[in-house]
Amino acid sequence: MNYDVVIGIEIHLELKTKTKMFSSAPTTFASKANSAVNEIDFAFPGTLPSVNKEAVKKALEVCFAFGLEIDKLLKFDRKNYFYSDLPKGFQITQQFFPIGRNGKLNIKIDGANKEIRINRIHLEEDTAKQFHLNDKTYIDFNRAGNPLIEIVSEADMSSGLEASLYVEKLRQTLLFLGVSDCRMEEGSMRCDVNISLKEKGSSTFGTKVEIKNLNSISNIKNAIEYEILRQSEILNKNEKVTQETRRFDEATQTTVLMRKKEGNVDYKYFPEPNIKPILLSDEFIKNVKNNLKELPDSKIERYSQVYGLNDYDISLILSNYDVMDYFEKVMVFSNNPKNISNLINSELLGLMTKNNIKFSDLKISPKNFSRLSDLIVGQEISGKQGKEVLELMLSGDDVDVIVETKGFKQISDESFILQAVLEVIDEQKQSVIDYHNGKDRALGFLVGQLMKKTKGQANPALASSILKKELEKFK
Amino acid sequence: MAFKNILKQDENKRCLDSYGKVVKFQEKLNASVTMIEPELENVIRGKLYKIPYALKDNISTDGILTTACSKILANYKPVFNATVYDKLRKEGAVLISKANMDELAMGGTNLSSYYGKCYNPYDLKRISGGSSGGSAVLVSSGACAFSIGSDTGDSVRKPAGYNNIVGVKPTYGRISRYGVIPYASSLDHVAYFTNNVKDSAFLLEILAGRDDKDPTSSFENVDNYASLLSDDIRGKKILIFKNVIDSAKSDVALEIVKHFNNLVVELKNKGAIVEEVYFNNDLMRSIFPTYYIISNCEATANHANLDGVRYGSQIQKDSFEDIVITNRTIGFGTNVKKRFIIGSYGLYEENQEFVLKKAQKVRRLIVDEFLNKLKNADAIIAPASLSVAPLVDDKGNFDYSDEYLIGENHMVIGNFAGLPSITVPMGYVSNLPVGVNITTNVFKESTMFNIAYAIENITGIKDVIKEDF
Repeated sequence: MNYDVVIGIEIHLELKTKTKMFSSAPTTFASKANSAVNEIDFAFPGTLPSVNKEAVKKALEVCFAFGLEIDKLLKFDRKNYFYSDLPKGFQITQQFFPIGRNGKLNIKIDGANKEIRINRIHLEEDTAKQFHLNDKTYIDFNRAGNPLIEIVSEADMSSGLEASLYVEKLRQTLLFLGVSDCRMEEGSMRCDVNISLKEKGSSTFGTKVEIKNLNSISNIKNAIEYEILRQSEILNKNEKVTQETRRFDEATQTTVLMRKKEGNVDYKYFPEPNIKPILLSDEFIKNVKNNLKELPDSKIERYSQVYGLNDYDISLILSNYDVMDYFEKVMVFSNNPKNISNLINSELLGLMTKNNIKFSDLKISPKNFSRLSDLIVGQEISGKQGKEVLELMLSGDDVDVIVETKGFKQISDESFILQAVLEVIDEQKQSVIDYHNGKDRALGFLVGQLMKKTKGQANPALASSILKKELEKFK
Repeated sequence: MAFKNILKQDENKRCLDSYGKVVKFQEKLNASVTMIEPELENVIRGKLYKIPYALKDNISTDGILTTACSKILANYKPVFNATVYDKLRKEGAVLISKANMDELAMGGTNLSSYYGKCYNPYDLKRISGGSSGGSAVLVSSGACAFSIGSDTGDSVRKPAGYNNIVGVKPTYGRISRYGVIPYASSLDHVAYFTNNVKDSAFLLEILAGRDDKDPTSSFENVDNYASLLSDDIRGKKILIFKNVIDSAKSDVALEIVKHFNNLVVELKNKGAIVEEVYFNNDLMRSIFPTYYIISNCEATANHANLDGVRYGSQIQKDSFEDIVITNRTIGFGTNVKKRFIIGSYGLYEENQEFVLKKAQKVRRLIVDEFLNKLKNADAIIAPASLSVAPLVDDKGNFDYSDEYLIGENHMVIGNFAGLPSITVPMGYVSNLPVGVNITTNVFKESTMFNIAYAIENITGIKDVIKEDF
């Protein structure tokens, strides 16, 4: 039997801010356990939350990027439940009035655009991190209170591929906005998938299963594909899918039961009395909107229209935030987007992989990189020499110094080349005679001699044309 | 000059004397939870230099026990200071006592403290009132020059009346709540006690002001209340809260109303324009249930942090659930548990519409009704209570009569609307003190102090110390 697959995705995104959502403690990741914490994060009695403006700004950026309607009156609510990773016994979130509603993003599937709607984006705070060792539980409160947004999609996706494309597009945009590290493996972007199957064409939805904490885009796809199979088999046997929460087991590439859901938990949501509703000024909102970083779709258009890059090159540059970032930094100095794109895609990336260098460690300044491209395009050095120079630039040395030291610089001074040509003709009389007698190899030999005399620095095309011209005179 | 009487004394002796009295009175009054022998070196030479005072035990003091009189926090020492405590330290005030209170400020009697009842120096068989009972008693007995409390319903202004002292609750957001263990966030105010109006006007200048750690605190300018203080109330429009007066039925209540009426005559004599105002009585009868729902819904969430994991009572068990259940079962008193249950009931999704949300709507109606009349006047006055301090053994007047519902609960409107409100001594009934309450419009503290000052001059009751008990 065939089924319609209904998929919705909830993403928790850790915002890249200096301090926490409601306290002034730093949001450092790798610091020692329970060191990036203050009395507010520990929920000491009498502490009060102060809203982090930077987090609000970043949430707004995400809302604008996906076209959500903004709620100018910022309100927070309490979600009440007891858990050891939740110091206050409630989480401050935006249950009733999310900062943004009704957005969308487009994914490309089989060459066509498909729109995935975003139901809401709301701000909230993260919980502490727990570690279980033997029979004990350890709690690190560093993460407690970190600013999060939750991005809730509509159930508009119907396959593992669509879901993975949605998350990929979302992630790319979020990275380009610079609002988050979006590290799925490290949990700064956490993905929960809701999936249900229903009879083809039916308007009655099936029972929803939640797959929690998918930590890579390929796992999203694989987990969904497995889950579709699992649920299909159950339905094929005329059995019922049970409402439950599952996780994806990478080793077996299957989903496994975490817990059954027995009714809805009552979180007793109510408005947070310690934060009065905050009216975001039109100026603040406008400011965020006007300073929004360029989004991927706009970059694609610009690279194509303004830079004249082809789709393949564009996709290579945009496939990675760091590559895009470096490309744009180099373009500040360069007028040769095609050559820059080629140099990055076919030379630099390979060299970096070979030498195990990350962009954060790359010592080639964008200006130097642009200079290298200019030298190649201006035929001051050959493409082959360019590659050699690039590899040497990894050490951080200046491009001109390398070219100089290596004696790579091509000479295009006609009088200088003419002088060398005349000397070669004078020294190699036999070859000149051979050339005029129609021996093709003689020309090659003479060019070789010419390059030797100029230490390979003569512009080859120029040198060859001057040589030919002068040879005619000795006919 | 504010704090005239205490400043007359030798600067070190007055602190040591204060500590001596706190210790000496403890057996009879049980006003303190922690008594702090003063260290008199390196005290900052500020505006309250070496003035001894007390903090209610729900105000966080770094390294000093802050129990909120709950067993669950019996061993709790904060790692930070409440903003009010910091402000007082920076002005050189010397902390002598962490004062007794109702457990987690939930109550109006100070009978529910884990550390036992607090007694009234005017009659040791009677309650101090609460929840800021210890703070009130330490001032009325002369042990401290002033004290800080908190006021969620009338927890400073009610005991002020029972103790013949001044109790001030300014506008919501006027004094930072940062570091004050809450009862109900939307109703909680930092409030305080002094022996006279001038001291209280002066003290507010120090306590008030914006604090970035309390986002509900106000940016509103802080006036020079003390230097603006004047008892000239000519032309001031003062409303008489008629529903309160009309609800008086008992002999004591009628005695109190007699004092009040005499006072009104004197106010008229001083040139005030006095008018009676009668509010919708059904709304006035709804104050108490509305308060009870809102405060306890907020409280049950506010205290969900007391789970036995990070501080306070930390009885170890095998699972988180067992830790929470055990620590909270042992750690909270009956009264608190009762209020948590009511609050939790009101928060359940299926109940919220007709419990919490309804209460919030009624709160809005009460506030609108009140402000609608007050906005055209300078102040509204009423007896702070229609009773004298009840006997400790008194089971309470919970007959849901108007005398209880309105007469004993009307000051909650000050918390509903966040209005500045002060209680000052009014007179005596059978040798027991009774107070009068003055409430003004938002941020009109100066008007509030001026009318209170005029009343103080009419009654002549100020700086009364009750040391012989």
